[in-house]
Amino acid sequence: MADLSLPQAVTLPNYFSQDRLALPAQILNGEDMPSALTAALNSTLHRERWKYSKTAPVLEGLIRTMNLPTIIGGEQAGVQISQAPEQNVRFSFDLSQAPEAFARLCYAQEALFIHIEQTLKSPLEIHHAGSTVPILISLGTNAEATLLEHFAGNLQPQNTLWISLAERSHLKHSRNSLEAAELHWQYLCVDIGKNADYLLNNHAAGAGLRRQDIHIRLSGQGANAELISAAVISGKLALDQQITLEHLVANGKSKQVVHNIVADGGKCTFNGRIHIHEGANGTDATLANKNLGLGKNATINTKPELEIYTDDVTCAHGATIGQLSDQELFYLSSRGISPEAAQALLSEGFLRQCTQGPLAEAALPILINAIKQEHDA
Amino acid sequence: MSLLEVTNLHATVGAQDQQKAILKGLNISVNPGEVHAIMGPNGSGKSTLANVLSGRPGYTVTDGSMILANTNLADMEPHERAQLGLFLAFQYPVEIPGVSNMEFLKASVDSLARARGEEQPNTAAFIKKVRILAASVDLDPQFLKRGVNEGFSGGEKKRNEIMQLLLLEPKLAILDETDSGLDIDALQVVAEGVNRYKNSNNGVVLITHYQRLLDYIIPDFVHVLADGKIIQSGDKSLALELEDKGYAWLT
Repeated sequence: MADLSLPQAVTLPNYFSQDRLALPAQILNGEDMPSALTAALNSTLHRERWKYSKTAPVLEGLIRTMNLPTIIGGEQAGVQISQAPEQNVRFSFDLSQAPEAFARLCYAQEALFIHIEQTLKSPLEIHHAGSTVPILISLGTNAEATLLEHFAGNLQPQNTLWISLAERSHLKHSRNSLEAAELHWQYLCVDIGKNADYLLNNHAAGAGLRRQDIHIRLSGQGANAELISAAVISGKLALDQQITLEHLVANGKSKQVVHNIVADGGKCTFNGRIHIHEGANGTDATLANKNLGLGKNATINTKPELEIYTDDVTCAHGATIGQLSDQELFYLSSRGISPEAAQALLSEGFLRQCTQGPLAEAALPILINAIKQEHDA
Repeated sequence: MSLLEVTNLHATVGAQDQQKAILKGLNISVNPGEVHAIMGPNGSGKSTLANVLSGRPGYTVTDGSMILANTNLADMEPHERAQLGLFLAFQYPVEIPGVSNMEFLKASVDSLARARGEEQPNTAAFIKKVRILAASVDLDPQFLKRGVNEGFSGGEKKRNEIMQLLLLEPKLAILDETDSGLDIDALQVVAEGVNRYKNSNNGVVLITHYQRLLDYIIPDFVHVLADGKIIQSGDKSLALELEDKGYAWLT
């Protein structure tokens, strides 16, 4: 396999020189950035994560023009939007996890820094249309907020978001990625501080390819992360979800439930890795990925992974690929419900278990429709 | 004229290459207004009879006939049998997470109404009716919002079956060991529900292991099923005799 390379030389954005953001470990350790990025791009770990999707088109897209997203709720008390980071905010940039995301940050040069210092009265809404500039959101100590993200753009949009949660802050994050696109790449990295809470409600439909990279780091003791996701991938569309969740310190708790419906000709890849570092005692981590195949020729790749370097942990993971349950279908039929209606009820029920939060109401009908279209086609 | 007429019914269970004969020439006739109890040792075919009548996949009728309200059931799909007026109270009601009880009941009632060319009930009135029925079988109306039977106790699942019976008002109700696993209070609630349902136009087939249920729902006929056939029929006193002597003297 040919070596991967970046489309252009990278230079660090100015805001790093102000000493407010920590550089990735590799750079701090004296590696030069181009070779660190190239090494990361061609590492075994990286190749594994891009096994089922082509990397090259995403890399080419890194230098494409970016626009500013529309932000609603940015004027309310407690929100500061600027082009430079706040002091004392820690974002984590992990070159080995996502070299392309860091490269994009460099190509963009400018980024949108959103700092939430205190609890917000209204949700902060971000509407992306096409490729948007990198966004870095930080929550101050004790701040509570709701973040809603909507994605549109039918060509090859790219969206990158870093989130940093300070002690005891709470973020409820919901995002709908439901519109058609040729190739949509979404990168999300969340760093959760001590006793802070993060919840992601993720709803996705298929695209030519929709690639969702999610990296969640529980870096403060007692941090809590929850990821609830529902997706429908129907005829000839694809979704590739690559989720890494790291427990770096003790007493963190994480729960991930991902339900995907893959209908005729659809292709879905799920790779969920939980990494429990040495010293992360008292970790409680669960991951469940359930896939429902409908119709013919659905392709489902799923790989839940656990890497544990501590003894004192509770950890459960599981992945299933199945079809609608005959028992459930018969129960509904025995009450006069036709097989078609019973199938619809059951697949909607499967989705509904993971369609939650403030954007659920908007997402559910679109996802249900995506299943129906498939069956009518 | 009888409501249900089962004649010389032979049925097998299992995949095509390894079918096992379970029903071997069963006859039963249920008239409107009658309650029939079917008793019998384990493995005699009681649940198979319920499953074959309701059309559960995996069972094959190899001979004989099943006529409900002048209609041959053999060629009908399970949902068509339900639309015709057949109801099976499950021995093990199924849990369906993500589909709320209320949504399920509405889908059922709407399907039945559509099939019968009747008007679908107005949603507000429907919800009110369901809530009242739920309360009448001691089910907390909160259960209606939860997934179908999801996290219900054994007793709650059975009471949910009876609630559906009262809501759907079928022509013929088959209760497959609805009494199993119930404490005495729940048993009385279930029996009261069945008695409330029963009238001169409908019929009940009670499949049970125990005479106890028949203290609360008085059967007109008691049949003993053994090795796929009815080997003895009688009135309520037969159940008492079975309780006393077991099945050995018959088989």
